[in-house]
Amino acid sequence: MSSSLNHFIAADPEKCIGCKLCEVACSQAHSSGPAFTAGALSAPILPRLYVVQTPEITIPVQCRHCEDAPCANCCPVSAISRKNGAIVVETKLCVGCKTCMLACPFGAIELLPVYKNGAPVMQAVLCENGETSMDEVPMLFAGKCDLCSDRKKGPACVEVCPEKALSLIDPSRMKRERNIKAAMSFLNTSQNFS
Amino acid sequence: MSKSKQLIIIDEELCTGCGRCKDVCPVDAISGIHGEPHKIDSSRCIFCGQCVQTCSAYSSILDEPETPRADKLRERGMFQSTTEPLFAAYCAGDVFEISDALKSDKFTMVQCAPAVRVSIGEDFGMKAGSLTPGKMAAALRRLGFNKVYDTNFAADLTIMEEGNELLSRVKNNGTLPMFTSCCPAWVRYMELNYPDLLPHLSSCKSPQQMSGALFKTYGADINGKQRTEIYSVAVMPCTCKKFESARPEMSMEGHRDVDAVLTTRELAYMIREAGIDFESLPDEDFDKPLGTYSGAGNIFGVTGGVMEAALRTAYELVSGEPVPETDLIFVRGEEGFRIASMTMGEQTFKIAVVAGLTNVAPLLEKVRAGNAEVDFVEVMCCPSGCISGGGQPKVLLPTERDEVYRCRKESMYSHDKNSKIRKSHENPDVQKAYTEFLGEPLGHTSHKLLHTVFGKQDA
Ligand code: SF4
Ligand code: SF4
Ligand code: SF4
Ligand code: SF4
Repeated sequence: MSSSLNHFIAADPEKCIGCKLCEVACSQAHSSGPAFTAGALSAPILPRLYVVQTPEITIPVQCRHCEDAPCANCCPVSAISRKNGAIVVETKLCVGCKTCMLACPFGAIELLPVYKNGAPVMQAVLCENGETSMDEVPMLFAGKCDLCSDRKKGPACVEVCPEKALSLIDPSRMKRERNIKAAMSFLNTSQNFS
Repeated sequence: MSKSKQLIIIDEELCTGCGRCKDVCPVDAISGIHGEPHKIDSSRCIFCGQCVQTCSAYSSILDEPETPRADKLRERGMFQSTTEPLFAAYCAGDVFEISDALKSDKFTMVQCAPAVRVSIGEDFGMKAGSLTPGKMAAALRRLGFNKVYDTNFAADLTIMEEGNELLSRVKNNGTLPMFTSCCPAWVRYMELNYPDLLPHLSSCKSPQQMSGALFKTYGADINGKQRTEIYSVAVMPCTCKKFESARPEMSMEGHRDVDAVLTTRELAYMIREAGIDFESLPDEDFDKPLGTYSGAGNIFGVTGGVMEAALRTAYELVSGEPVPETDLIFVRGEEGFRIASMTMGEQTFKIAVVAGLTNVAPLLEKVRAGNAEVDFVEVMCCPSGCISGGGQPKVLLPTERDEVYRCRKESMYSHDKNSKIRKSHENPDVQKAYTEFLGEPLGHTSHKLLHTVFGKQDA
């Protein structure tokens, strides 16, 4: 067992302005091909974090990389597992059953269409009352934050946010730092007692 | 586009009210409460399209849209085949009108601005700054344009007219400093905010309008057509060029110099819609004579380019000798405000280059106070000149924008470097146009066709 906790990305609602640039960057980080201009995109923007806007708060919601991940635990085909300190979906194994989507307490998973060369990948599904017994439906997969584990420069959303509202959290380190701060403040206050 | 039509628009259904457009707008034309859809005040807007380039609020396939995508595409003037995501801030397009004209029995002439050939490849998946003048000419021919000309020809012509205008102002104690007038967003800014300084603007029409005016006169003669038979289209990196072409003073006897303008992005839509495989197109030449250009004409697309092109020619006009060094590195650069001087024969000219309208006000205040101490100023509204214009391929991530602009710029300069002719006055077809048709710079015909009077704009 690894001694350190999974990392995750946290957003600061005080800073987030809801521009959705993090979504665009996330989609770009997870798409193959050289397209870097809007006109060259032939697939829709498919993010793995979701900016939520309500009258009270604006903030992107994304995976917490739970230690005892409900999504991984309930996946019937074992497509979700822990890899280098992140909970990731093996897209090729995912059958689109949506169990993880419902199990995730944060709603951090969305079923996304699989795109290849600018077109959605279709799959044949048995169907009783069609003209033939097969229907063509888009193939889906469980899309979720993987902390951009394949990206050299780290999480794309963190890099691009114009308000610096996102940060990669290392919970174990943060805890130790807080302990040190608490100890220091204890030292300062205890000096007042003497 | 008609003047009453809104040109730059924010889609209320998509705008999240983040305000990033507001931050980038050089004239404070955008307002709105944080978190609520923003609005553009078109009486202040100079149609530069920088808000369009910046906006990242897009229509997601995961949300149920109030208005279906098909309707939005139609509203925005985009083909149903377009696959790109729709963002909140956009520029209303003209592809339908131009497609119709191509199907009609009009004689169609098209011109392409310098900054288009260094960026359009990007919308077909090519590397940033890919230089594709030949493929672009080929694509325009495949789309059905009868003559594929080039704005660069008129850029060379602009240098002839503007260079001579500057010298005549210097000689005759005319209004100085003289400001360039090729950027229509800058011209509108001046008209709206500094009408008292309008005499400082060069009277030259922009290269787009000079081309258009020539298409329907000289070009008509060459092709044995009447003015009324010609439909003239411009492909531009700039959204404000649509506004400029619709200005009433940019027409002759009721016929517009430029009938319609396509942005770089819109040309890419048309190429896709026609099923043309851009990357595999052969390199073809522009039609002559209105498509012949020098390296100087080409660098109009970058900040400092107009100035550099002008100085290459002015040096020779003033001193009678060719400029010792063709590359005038001292006017190039990134800074929003640059100042330099150049000695030509007996005279020393002080020049300034402004990139990004937010940098121009301090200079204009000095001009107003009468202590500007410059002779000639180039102003471009967009931060890196036309290569960063509002109609250019939209770079999705701001973290990549500087690098993409750098690549586009490098391509511009290498295109100039590799041109056989690098000075506007050495363009043989420009010389021919003067002997055959225009007479001399600032002469009667050029005055009528290539110059105008800029006035106070009603919003
Ligand atoms: S990029 Fe930053 S400011 Fe914009 S929506 Fe995402 S978290 Fe918020
Ligand atoms: S997707 Fe949800 S359940 Fe799974 S690890 Fe992330 S936050 Fe936890
Ligand atoms: S138009 Fe775009 S950039 Fe401007 S406030 Fe709306 S979402 Fe933000
Ligand atoms: S087009 Fe330019 S001037 Fe008009 S609102 Fe957008 S950024 Fe401002």
